[in-house]
Amino acid sequence: MWVEKYRPETVAEVIGNEEAKATFVNWLKKGRKKRAVLLYGPAGVGKTALVHAAAHDLNYKVIEMNASDTRTGKAIMEIAGPAASLTSLDEFSLDIKGSILLFDEVDGIFGREDRGGVGAIVKIIKESQTPIVLTANNISILKLRPITNASDLIKFRWVRIPLIVALLQKICQTEKMSSEREALETIAQGSQGDVRSAINDLQTLFQGKSVLRKEDVQHISARNRPLDVHQTLKEVFSAVSPKEAWSILNNSIIDYDTLLLAIHDNLPLRYRNPENLATAYNILSRADVFRGRIGTEVWRLLPYVYDLLAQSATIAPKTFQPFKLMFPPTKFSLLKWTGRDRAILESICAKIAVKCHISKRLANLEFIPFLRMIFKKESDRATKIATWLELDEKSLEYIRRMA
Amino acid sequence: MSRTEGIMWVEKYRPKTLDEVVNLKGVIQSLKAFLKTPGTMPHLLFAGMPGTGKTSVALCIARQILGSNWRTFTLELNASDERGIKMVRERVKNFARYSRSGLADIPYAVIILDESDQMTATAQSALRRIMETSSLFCRFILICNYSSKIIEPIQSRCAIFRFSALQKEDVMKHLRYIAEKEDLDLAIDAAEVIIEFSEGDLRRAINIIQTSAMYREDASISKNTVFSVVGQAHPKNIQMMLSKALNGNFMEARDRLYELMTTYSLSGTDIIRQIHRELYRLSYLSPEDQAELARIVGEYDFRLSQGANEDIQLSALLAQFARFTKSRVGSVSG
Repeated sequence: MWVEKYRPETVAEVIGNEEAKATFVNWLKKGRKKRAVLLYGPAGVGKTALVHAAAHDLNYKVIEMNASDTRTGKAIMEIAGPAASLTSLDEFSLDIKGSILLFDEVDGIFGREDRGGVGAIVKIIKESQTPIVLTANNISILKLRPITNASDLIKFRWVRIPLIVALLQKICQTEKMSSEREALETIAQGSQGDVRSAINDLQTLFQGKSVLRKEDVQHISARNRPLDVHQTLKEVFSAVSPKEAWSILNNSIIDYDTLLLAIHDNLPLRYRNPENLATAYNILSRADVFRGRIGTEVWRLLPYVYDLLAQSATIAPKTFQPFKLMFPPTKFSLLKWTGRDRAILESICAKIAVKCHISKRLANLEFIPFLRMIFKKESDRATKIATWLELDEKSLEYIRRMA
Repeated sequence: MSRTEGIMWVEKYRPKTLDEVVNLKGVIQSLKAFLKTPGTMPHLLFAGMPGTGKTSVALCIARQILGSNWRTFTLELNASDERGIKMVRERVKNFARYSRSGLADIPYAVIILDESDQMTATAQSALRRIMETSSLFCRFILICNYSSKIIEPIQSRCAIFRFSALQKEDVMKHLRYIAEKEDLDLAIDAAEVIIEFSEGDLRRAINIIQTSAMYREDASISKNTVFSVVGQAHPKNIQMMLSKALNGNFMEARDRLYELMTTYSLSGTDIIRQIHRELYRLSYLSPEDQAELARIVGEYDFRLSQGANEDIQLSALLAQFARFTKSRVGSVSG
């Protein structure tokens, strides 16, 4: 595996994230505020690689635990406990300064299997004499709060594309392969700053070849890379056949519910012609029907949702013209805008429901339209009705605003 | 100022005894027979359209059987607000247990379960069990729009009463009664407009007359006042949404749709029901067009019941409407 072969040995070989690199090396040397440091950021940008490289440069030994280990509190204490509390024998016998305890991908600690995992790590952090390094992609997970509180934090960003291109070029030279610069640029861009996946893609693309041209890359990278929402939509709407659209949807990392909503929002932008729009919406509506039939259990129906989504996006490939994509789904933003109002309306309907022996739904349908009119003009009688319904000023203001 | 002064007229003029009920002669007669010997009364199931008096009659029965203590021994639940098995199990069961220890000189407690056809079949099965175990000290009055949505075992345990829509004369009688009590002069033609728009739903009729009373110019409620109230209270957005769609303007129609779903907080089913009703009021459509569009609405109403997402189904419906006009006017390229 090239990813292993070209793993950086020294800190200097780690590309990108210069500031984070410097901060981390400094932290190891002396600048520790807390006993642990949490390196966080996107996958494949060199967090773990940096730990190993820095340990190499500074003569530390890395004791590593990653997400595939069982991480119950007990398991962690058994393996990591002694290493953290005792000074390693190596320290005396060899030329090694000590150990670094590395907990890789700590955001993978949740669910039943990892019961007590977070607590155990925090305990080790508190007791440890040895520097502890943790890595994570996402530190906004609530469960990780105790860990983030107990650690210094260093943020990593995507690696810039030119740096990745340069690295890929170096690998090609070492492997004695030739490649067009444009091909490498496409791979680097496709990786979105994820160095590891760029190297993996390069190796995959060189399979059975010694020369890499830009045509080879365009063809394969679109299929192999998991796509984000914008890419997915862009490619799915410009696909020339349902089959192509289908394979794009299947390679997308976006879940089917988001896809349904996103295609729904962009359909009228894609099809300006009412005839096409109606046809496409008819198909999308059937996709939604299948989604409804799946509910939470009949997952074998999911392929039909994808089939229909792919069809709805490609009913008239020849009419495709680039358009400005709409995302996130309007549904989400609509809900956000009106969430507060919705709560007020709900509380009003609840009051009517009790007073008038009716459901909240019927209160909204049968009473609110009339109350809107009754409260439009301020009058003595309106005030009395408001008093009887026990409506507060906020509710009244809302009803008047509706009118 | 008395707190009852601002009472909504639907409550103020809700009948207190079965004798005050204006419609449903046959139903009332049979129910009165039960009141003579309350012990013989089975569980009841009332089926009928909104505003036909189901809840009112249920409350009358509770009041007449339980007397002054009726509020203590009556549990009112609305299945559309508190759906599912948990509601039946916890609330109804707790109430049954509580009433067993505290029944004074009353024959049983009354549980009124409104909109019970909104309950899932599982919840209904649980309810059936509870009805059985608690029948010594509880009577259920189940209220629904469609009795066919109630599972057979429950239907067979209940005496079923059908509440038909109110006759014009009954609504008229009640409106004039209210007008008299409120010292209002209600013109005949105004009353007729109210009756037409309330479609046999007495609750709506009363809400219209109360709102009209606040908008009247002098002591009398005129036809024009009623028209303006009905016109304003009735969400215009449905009509506007339809005309935008039928003019081929999908995007603006969809904006209207979103407004109905958010600002007015209407559910997909409510919107599609109103679309269906509005369709026949659009004078610029020929009867053939109305029939064809109604067929489309029906198809999407069905898909709505099967599907997962309301905006997708309703947007899809609007897209069909937008195509409908184009296909008649002629082809458009693009």
